[in-house]
Amino acid sequence: MEFLKILPLRGPNIWTYRPVLEVWLDIGALEDSPSNTLPGFYERLTAWLPTLAEHRCGIGERGGFLLRLREGTWPGHILEHITIELQNLAGMQSGFGKTRSTSVRGVYKVVVRSRNETVTRAALQEARELMLAAMQDRPFEVAAAVARLHEMVDSLCLGPSTACIVDAATGRGIPSIRLSEGNLVQLGYGARQHRIWTAETDQTSAIAEGISRDKDLSKTLLQACGVPVPEGRIVDSAADAWEAAEDIGLPVVVKPSDGNHGRGVSTELMTRAEVEAAYKLADEEGSEVIVERFVRGDEHRLLVIGGRLAAAARGESVSLVADGCSSVSKLVEEQINIDPRRGYGEGYPLSLVELDEDAAAQFELGRQGYTADSIPAVGVSVLIQRTGNVAFDVTERVHPEVAATVELAARIVGLDIAGVDLVAEDISRPLGEQGGAIVEINAGPGLLMHLKPASGNAQPVGDAIVASLFAETDSGRIPVIGIAGTHGKTPLAHLLAALLKLAGKYVGLACSDGLYFAGRQADKRDSANWVAAQKVLMNRSVEAAVIENSVATILSEGLGYDRCQVGIVTNIEPPQHFGAYYIETAEQVCNVLRTQIDVVLADGVAVLNACDPLVAGLAGYCDGEVIFFSVDGTLPTAHQAKRAVLLRDGGIVLRQDEQETLLFGRVACQSWQPETVLAAVAAAWALGVSPALIKAGLAAY
Amino acid sequence: MEVSRLRALRGPNLWSQHTAIEAIVSCSAAEQDIAKISGFEARLRARFPAMGLLQPPGYASAVSMAHTLGVAALGLQAQADCPVTFNRTTATSESGVYQVVIEYSEEAVGRLAFKLARALCVAAVEDTAFDVADALAQLRELDEEVRLGPSTGAIVQAAVQRGIPYCRLTTGSLVQFGWGSRQRRIQAAETDRSSAIGEAIAQDKELTKRLLEAAGVSVPVGRPVADVADAWAAMCEIAAAVVVKPLDGNQGKGVTVNVVTREHLEIAYAAAIEFGSQVLVERFMPGSDFRMLVVGDKLVAAARREPPQVIGDGVRSVRELVEQVNADPRRGDGHATSLTRMRLDSIALARLQAQGYTADSIPVKGCHVVLRNNANLSTGGTATDVTDDVHPDLAASAVAAAQMVGLDVCGVDVVCDTVLLPLAEQGGGVVEVNAAPGLRMHLQPSYGKGREVGEAIVSMMFAGKDDGRIPLVAVAGTNGKTTTVRLIAHLLGCRGLHVGMTNSDGVYIQGKRIDSGDCSGPKSARNVLLHPDVDAAVFETARGGVLREGLAFDRCNVAVVTNLGRGDHLGLNYISTVEDLSVVKRVVVQNVRPDGVAVLNAADPMSAAMADACPGSVTFFAQDRHHPVLAAHCAQGRRAVYVEDGHIVASKKKIVQRIPLSQIPLTRNGTIGFQIENAMAAIAAAWALKVDWKTLRGGLASFVNDAETAPGRFNFFDYRGAAVIADYGHNPDAMLALIPAIESIPAHKRLVVISGAGDRRDEDIRQQTEMLGEVFDEVILYQDQCQRGRQDGEVLALLRQGLAKAGRANKIDEITGEFLAIDTALSRLQAGDLCLILIDQVDEALAHIAQRLTEANDTRATP
Repeated sequence: MEFLKILPLRGPNIWTYRPVLEVWLDIGALEDSPSNTLPGFYERLTAWLPTLAEHRCGIGERGGFLLRLREGTWPGHILEHITIELQNLAGMQSGFGKTRSTSVRGVYKVVVRSRNETVTRAALQEARELMLAAMQDRPFEVAAAVARLHEMVDSLCLGPSTACIVDAATGRGIPSIRLSEGNLVQLGYGARQHRIWTAETDQTSAIAEGISRDKDLSKTLLQACGVPVPEGRIVDSAADAWEAAEDIGLPVVVKPSDGNHGRGVSTELMTRAEVEAAYKLADEEGSEVIVERFVRGDEHRLLVIGGRLAAAARGESVSLVADGCSSVSKLVEEQINIDPRRGYGEGYPLSLVELDEDAAAQFELGRQGYTADSIPAVGVSVLIQRTGNVAFDVTERVHPEVAATVELAARIVGLDIAGVDLVAEDISRPLGEQGGAIVEINAGPGLLMHLKPASGNAQPVGDAIVASLFAETDSGRIPVIGIAGTHGKTPLAHLLAALLKLAGKYVGLACSDGLYFAGRQADKRDSANWVAAQKVLMNRSVEAAVIENSVATILSEGLGYDRCQVGIVTNIEPPQHFGAYYIETAEQVCNVLRTQIDVVLADGVAVLNACDPLVAGLAGYCDGEVIFFSVDGTLPTAHQAKRAVLLRDGGIVLRQDEQETLLFGRVACQSWQPETVLAAVAAAWALGVSPALIKAGLAAY
Repeated sequence: MEVSRLRALRGPNLWSQHTAIEAIVSCSAAEQDIAKISGFEARLRARFPAMGLLQPPGYASAVSMAHTLGVAALGLQAQADCPVTFNRTTATSESGVYQVVIEYSEEAVGRLAFKLARALCVAAVEDTAFDVADALAQLRELDEEVRLGPSTGAIVQAAVQRGIPYCRLTTGSLVQFGWGSRQRRIQAAETDRSSAIGEAIAQDKELTKRLLEAAGVSVPVGRPVADVADAWAAMCEIAAAVVVKPLDGNQGKGVTVNVVTREHLEIAYAAAIEFGSQVLVERFMPGSDFRMLVVGDKLVAAARREPPQVIGDGVRSVRELVEQVNADPRRGDGHATSLTRMRLDSIALARLQAQGYTADSIPVKGCHVVLRNNANLSTGGTATDVTDDVHPDLAASAVAAAQMVGLDVCGVDVVCDTVLLPLAEQGGGVVEVNAAPGLRMHLQPSYGKGREVGEAIVSMMFAGKDDGRIPLVAVAGTNGKTTTVRLIAHLLGCRGLHVGMTNSDGVYIQGKRIDSGDCSGPKSARNVLLHPDVDAAVFETARGGVLREGLAFDRCNVAVVTNLGRGDHLGLNYISTVEDLSVVKRVVVQNVRPDGVAVLNAADPMSAAMADACPGSVTFFAQDRHHPVLAAHCAQGRRAVYVEDGHIVASKKKIVQRIPLSQIPLTRNGTIGFQIENAMAAIAAAWALKVDWKTLRGGLASFVNDAETAPGRFNFFDYRGAAVIADYGHNPDAMLALIPAIESIPAHKRLVVISGAGDRRDEDIRQQTEMLGEVFDEVILYQDQCQRGRQDGEVLALLRQGLAKAGRANKIDEITGEFLAIDTALSRLQAGDLCLILIDQVDEALAHIAQRLTEANDTRATP
């Protein structure tokens, strides 16, 4: 069983709208061994991957795939399902898969949804090994394979905060492009784009971020504007720390000035010894050390997005009750870590308590006179973490005055998205009356605690971030014009780009004779491909994109955009063959070109050649309007009432609601292929370029 | 010579608009005329030859040591290149005591200069040594350390030119421009709109390159490498000379260019990995290094940068050649000069070795010997301005690069042969983009024209004539400030502005108190100007803050001086007459914008006299429309506010508006004279700020003045049918204003409860009871909680003295404790009586009165 070729289809393709991996699989002799003929195969496979039972396949209900397995199916199809299942088990959601035979016996095209090319490639390899092991009755470590993939998913896929924003954007029809292997993502296209990087946006000010990192400065600014903060100061020695503590009044908090995640922070210190020990702990973090008033209450995280409070979470202290015979570390396992919400990694709202690695917990134990090995007397309550994970949703409870205060705090620092850490006994009461205070403002706050709270409702923070970047009706899209067909695409692309430029747009053009920005050639190489299309859409100046796609591009890479405003198919004749892709007939070519029409937006337009019956037949696949163009002046009868561009007596006629307007007389069009001009006129008309401007543009071109 | 007090005046002040050190210096008899100290001036000048003249030629009056100190402190700063010119020494009312005022551009430098000047004077008196070179070096070093760096400094300077106010938020380069809701921030050459993501992208050279390539900007191909072997592989892929550099490095550290052999690659790799986690190998682009500065969507400056190098003469060694170059006076050690000295450090020696030299080699004549790879000014490189040569296509590439990365201020590093051609035509490319680029090479290039890049950044941040200011009203005067401030703030609030207000009760933002206590000083005002929500600011500007620190702002739109009367707090801080006081209160008027307005009380001679000091126009107010000052002003067709037929009238040439007093509840139907004056002042201020009259009338009608909103400002209560008025008045003018208001309220018996604030002059304390004794039947004197420096019973004695001549008062009691005094007064009241309580601890006393009122109402409710 051999992978002849793996094609990463990075955009909409002949199979689906989403990126997939297309594998050309040669199963060789196994063509004669469907699954029902392999003894023990079904049992081994279902034992290793019991969740395959969920795959609906074919009959459209649970167990569908298992039925096919029992009845007999071929390795390509099985490989598809195993790959999908491995991806799902590894935490990379994938539903779509398809397997088709080709004209060559034993050679299949297996297609699986791929959110990350590297992970899917690995999953395919693991799936192949797993399937062969099951066929040949060899052992296979499923858990280890899943773990390997899981690790890849964690390191290669978007982090949960970024993913939730991207998902929210997708939900609103806003396209996205990942710009780096990290979490830098572009939402929207061209000039309408915004960028995000975890929970930072391109509106996040670098200066504000710097201010938020300088706790002392943030506190000064907040205090000046009347926001309650714990008063305190920077100290330079243990002795100085104690002096500051006496000035401020006990109890105090000692912490590093630019630490994070609570490292080196000690709270409610009452004695000189405690303060001095805490100083050393904080000092080890490497930055300056701050001593400040201890604010009584729970730690809260309030998330401000675009000036508004979007979510709030509370931290709770973690303690246990001794039984008089177990050690503290044993009790931690029995009473705390046993909680099913606790675990490693981002899948769990609460993390495990690991005493030997948790300096703060050790410090807390020490204050109570214990170590991890102590056995406290029965019934004694032992505090383990003063503030455990801040993961209990309290969004609904926040007092409006508290919300106003944290919103002001974010404004003072200058952050569009801020995680405000606040200590208060009761978040449903104003801060003033309880001595609550804001202790820290964070740029790029984690969103996980609001997405997966340990209790309470998850908050739609991704939606809020997207809403702060894109107004309600803004999908972040620029007009994208996709051009497909067998010939005449490049001159059409140039002509259309020129018309759009005349309409005042900064045009990005990717076609087979190069990549152009505002008429300037940026690349001389063939740019009718996925990479060039992405470049156009990534360019922050581009206000309209004209993108040429060859049949080979659609087959080997997929389209460079998810949806388009205008999709043009020029023609299929004269026939071309793509035997290398097992595409041999005009109908098959048409099916490839259909991809271009499938992605036309609901408010978009397909521009189709009425004179090519196969092309004209694509009209039915378009979600939006169809404008036909016709060099012989005829239209499909069903289309009489709609828009069309016709060549009549050598002149160009715009037809709408059975009204015809002559745009251009015979003379001016002579030097052009009539199809090219008609298609360009139709597309420009579809984009709202006025007939007068189209006419002027054609004359000037 | 004794220095008893040193203050930093951080804003416009009594003396000038400059920031200055103010010292109180006492001189002995001898020191009051230095001519009497034999040889002193000669010794002084021997030690500090650049010392300025002590008095104009031809004058021979006595020059004091204090005066000498001032001239020396200014001279030292000036010699250390600080831009300062102002100093002034004046004798105080105390013999031998002087106020010495010396301008500074940096407070720390000013303080040090003062200290050094003192040491200089002492050395000249005692004929001991004084190392003036060392003193100047200390000042220069401190100045360079504390003042803004060249990039930030240039932007700030450009902002100042545009009239945009600024303040430093840290000792570093973080600066706020503008005020309140109009504020913007910069940090070095970075604005508050410089995106954190853009900055992060610029840090990641690989990502930057990918994005630039996508934008069609020419970049050197290449990739990050895993190790030396991979570096070699990458070099083979590129198949040309390469550059080896750290992936996330800066300032050109660890960069090796034009690497062509495997041996050189290995050395270069080792050098690069020291400064970054990963190493980048990319195609070496021959040509010169250029830095393009993009601001917004424009290229504003371009410079060719050359690494530090010497040219052989066939005679001298590299070391000698470097020394020769460094002898150029334009080369200094820091950022202050246009060039920095070259260093023959280990990096330079290594670079020499790579070229086959040591420091002692003698290069042949005409041979260029490069000392390091990067062209930074700070390591001895040079910059030549080429802004005017840049080809439009090349400029467009630089702008495209900046926009693709997403930086509003961006340094684009380009390597190409010439900027006269587009990049594509010469195989050049963008090698790096930098956030917060250094501006020095464009401001003060080593060769060629300096460019106004600070101005470009400021213009991007503040469009057109925007100066980042919000309307600012400063209110000074002896009495009525707080009510006037509150009313102006209320009127501006009615116009829909978010108003920040400071007064002696606290700091208020949109009516919400964010700080309490006496907040009429510059610190509170600065906090308001810092607040991101504030659209307009109204500041009570008390004398204390003006004396202590100067104003919190450079200029105001409106300055109001309610009145000076006979003054208050006289005798403190060398302010002993009301004329002295008027100089202090006048500071706000002197700092009105040229298009601003001073609102002055025509009926108060001191206030009226300030008109001449106002750079803007003047609106006079007075109840009497026939008051000569006001009448003359009206006759000239200028703005005036006065009372006529039960209306407040605003007039300019003809009557503009008439507002019935009956519709201004603050005036209690026109019965409280001082509130009419406060209302007039506020109307004039709102008029100056173009508040429309409809809003203004509505605001006057809706303004509430009770114990809740204006504690201690003529708070009126009904206690068992008797009128009780609580007020914080505590000076003769306050009494003068209160008495007619009280007299206008009919009553059987009149009581007053009063203490005296110990920090007033004896005569002022006496005067208060003198006046009250004429109109009240019973007086209850109580001893203040805080005696403010007085002996026990001293204030009471003074108050009693004032009552000695009283015509009306027939019953006088002395009580210890404010609450007891209040209770005593209340217990004596019958329906129809009137009681004025001059409260001291405002909040506590009002709470106490409120408590008694509740009790009274409760007993009434339960028969």
